[in-house]
Amino acid sequence: MNGAINYTHTFSSGVVWHWPIAVYLLLAGMSGGALIVALLIRYYKKQTGVTPLFKGASLLSLVTILLGMVCLVADLDKPLYFWKILINYNFTSVMSIGVLALCIYIPLSFVVILYAFEKELNAFFANHFTFLKAFFGLIMNILNFIRPLMFVLTLIFAVAICAYTGFLISVLVRFPILNTSALPALFVASGLSAGIAGSGLIAAMFFREDTHSSDLKILHAIEWPVMAAEILLIGMIFVSLIIGSDVQKAASMAFFSGEYAKMFWIGVVGIGFVIPIVFNFLLGKTFAHTRFAFYVSSLASIIGVLMLRMFILYAGQTYSIFI
Amino acid sequence: MDTNLKRRAFVKYLALGSASITAASYGAVNDKPKAQTKKPNFGMIFDQNKCVGCTDCERACVKVNLVPKGQMRLFVEDKTDPNNRMQKRYVRVSCQQCVEAPCASVCPTNACHKDLLTGITTTNADDCIACKYCIVACPYDVRFINSENHAAESCNFCLDTNLAEGKEPACVEACRYDALVFGDLNDEESHISKLLRIKDSLRMRPECGTKPSLRYIPAVKMGV
Ligand code: SF4
Ligand code: SF4
Ligand code: SF4
Repeated sequence: MNGAINYTHTFSSGVVWHWPIAVYLLLAGMSGGALIVALLIRYYKKQTGVTPLFKGASLLSLVTILLGMVCLVADLDKPLYFWKILINYNFTSVMSIGVLALCIYIPLSFVVILYAFEKELNAFFANHFTFLKAFFGLIMNILNFIRPLMFVLTLIFAVAICAYTGFLISVLVRFPILNTSALPALFVASGLSAGIAGSGLIAAMFFREDTHSSDLKILHAIEWPVMAAEILLIGMIFVSLIIGSDVQKAASMAFFSGEYAKMFWIGVVGIGFVIPIVFNFLLGKTFAHTRFAFYVSSLASIIGVLMLRMFILYAGQTYSIFI
Repeated sequence: MDTNLKRRAFVKYLALGSASITAASYGAVNDKPKAQTKKPNFGMIFDQNKCVGCTDCERACVKVNLVPKGQMRLFVEDKTDPNNRMQKRYVRVSCQQCVEAPCASVCPTNACHKDLLTGITTTNADDCIACKYCIVACPYDVRFINSENHAAESCNFCLDTNLAEGKEPACVEACRYDALVFGDLNDEESHISKLLRIKDSLRMRPECGTKPSLRYIPAVKMGV
């Protein structure tokens, strides 16, 4: 920066994107992550039927993405004008590309939920709204015919949704913490993490999946490499900040002092990483296998990912290139 | 340069600008082909040597552009070194009118865009949904949500107010010390281009790669 001419008075006054955006980033990541793992396990185990995990993941992904949309619209200063974003497109804008992806992803996750609950819905239409039964059967016939295609598309768009949330904020050049190339990868990894924890939780809670079933064992097995990737990516961002330019060094203070440092060390590291590791590895096998340990560590993972999004968003917008 | 001359010069740029567009659309040959090959790139100079921090420009901007109370598109920051009170330094804070404008490239609704005729970055308040993406994307942090119409905005060189009436931007008109110069950087004959050829000027944060059209002439140190 040239010292001769510089200003420090700026117009936005601090954090512009608030917690609804952080919650949206969590929900979108969790939605995409849940479908990614559920579909990958399906392919890996060559499953054809409907498993509790598949039900849990599909329910979670639709509910979270819809709640995410509510957060997104609620954060607009002109929420009633949100439809303008659907009729105007700007292909240089990550947000526009994201909206386009969401317009495909949301219907896809709706279709996935139809696959997951076809039997239940059939039974429902047999007793209620009987006039819809034939119609529903016709729809499902078509959908079942193109099922493999739908699954592949869903997988692609689930990855796209996870990644775009990272690109959305990594293009913001004013903020050294956000403007890193590792951020989109971190968001995919942490989205997967939340998706794994969330869909396991829903499957066990609502669809009576045994916490030691083979599906949940696989979930459990991939949980740790994903977490390792997350830690690695956070480390990369941290190192690139402390060895970087003056503004990057200044931004690395977010990890050491102030409210955001607490958010990071207690929320992301303590709750998100330490609790699951302690509960699963350090307190003995018998404790690790209890339902209690399963619920608490899944919940801790999700809270950790939320805290990561909060930290990235708030600390990111706090430390700008104006120092 | 007196105000009258400036005004005449500016009207000339506008005339040239529209002539070039007319010429382009009719494919006509004009007697001044050089000025017409390029679209205008309106820029401004802020001369730190001349600015006295009177803030007349701020007030003129608020008045002409109906900026809500308590908000501003243009701010003159006092950057005087506390250890050297004798040498006053002021810096204009406002949209830098980037040629590669991140605000326009991230706006999902194209509300924030480059005006087709003039290339000036401006915002169409009706299409803005106030997602604030442009605000966080601007490396200079000079955009804000207008508290009355809830749309994002920033300095647009008075595109829809003074410029539309053939006048210079309100701040330039208001400055009694000639600290501000406005004109077409792509026109080699313009006053601003001539000035830039003989004076050293800076762009704010060139490392952001946005190619600002606002130029700053820094104050030279007095004494040793
Ligand atoms: S300074 Fe900011 S608002 Fe102005 S054109 Fe550049 S990016 Fe856009
Ligand atoms: S706040 Fe308005 S002008 Fe800015 S990016 Fe969003 S829609 Fe575009
Ligand atoms: S009107 Fe001119 S001298 Fe006064 S603050 Fe503005 S730029 Fe400086």
